[in-house]
Amino acid sequence: MSESTFMGVERDKIDWKPTIDYAKCDYCMECVKFCPHKVFEVRENEEIKLIIRNPDNCVVFCRACSKICGPDALSFPDKNATTQRIREIRKEETNG
Amino acid sequence: MVENYAILPCNGLDKCAGVISRELAIKLCKNGKNEIICPVYYRVAEAKYNKIAGERPLFVIDGCQTRCASKLAAEKNLKISKKVTVTEEAKNQNIELKNNLTLQENENALVEIILNGLNNTEDGVPQSSAETSFVINFEYETFQHGKFIFRVPKNPEVYFNENDCWAYVNGNRARIGVTDFVQQNLSDILYFTPPGIGEEIDQFGEAGEIESSKSVFELISPVSGKVISINETLLQQPELINENPYELGWIAEIELTGFEGDKELLLGFEKYFEIMKRKVEDLNG
Repeated sequence: MSESTFMGVERDKIDWKPTIDYAKCDYCMECVKFCPHKVFEVRENEEIKLIIRNPDNCVVFCRACSKICGPDALSFPDKNATTQRIREIRKEETNG
Repeated sequence: MVENYAILPCNGLDKCAGVISRELAIKLCKNGKNEIICPVYYRVAEAKYNKIAGERPLFVIDGCQTRCASKLAAEKNLKISKKVTVTEEAKNQNIELKNNLTLQENENALVEIILNGLNNTEDGVPQSSAETSFVINFEYETFQHGKFIFRVPKNPEVYFNENDCWAYVNGNRARIGVTDFVQQNLSDILYFTPPGIGEEIDQFGEAGEIESSKSVFELISPVSGKVISINETLLQQPELINENPYELGWIAEIELTGFEGDKELLLGFEKYFEIMKRKVEDLNG
């Protein structure tokens, strides 16, 4: 059982998290400073210095980190598809 | 037309969008009716610009979402009257910005498109077609965390999503806005970008943005429908969202197109109040 839910659906069943485009990311780490949910993790000594550490901490439908990303390196899934999926899961769980 | 403004551009000379911002600012001042505030010099010798910053409305040109020019305006307590973000405009126009630091065909085209757009737009507020018929008579439940007070309206016609936005439903229309949780977290709201009148919005779709020096918040619409009106007062007084987010700080009115379905994914006062309290405690300890 997931610890958190969104609209009654277990959070880990909802695919909503940022994807980092490493070709654009300049490791300014503004997203890390901004996100209070610890979605990102900095790895100072690695070649890839930023990863999505806690995808299920990401607030479903929030895209705030992408709005403050200077190099426009963060993207999110399609909102309509996500809403649809949430409705389907709720239906399955009601019928199930 | 862009006339009589103080223009505060991004001056990111190591980025294409910054170079475009600079070019836009210079071109906007060619008519002799606007004046540039150099962001670099403004930081070290603000006296030079205090007069124009105090007397003229401010037009901010941000190169990218880092929003250095907007943040500088916030630092200097300047109210932003108008703004453009170059990378957003490029996206809207499907123009890909490379890493050029001298303007080439694409970049010049974007400069011209933005200038034409600005010069063909009358200053002033968008026209709305709606006659508002919302009688506001909310009763609130409140709770306090530290020095912050959070209120949530208890009326059964007010619905919430888990993204801290509300919809006050009245017949086939709804007024939407953000809750105290959003405005307290953003702190002083400096700029409001409304959704377009006539725009069709899906449930959880974007219905405008509000911006503080800390962040940009995309309003996530609790309901689906067509935008029939926006709160024009917020264009000049976005701080009303801080002062009174449920009444004077409403964002837009929506003609509902699927409320029965939308309702399944919305919360009433009791559930939202609990969620908001938990979020405040989680975030602030």
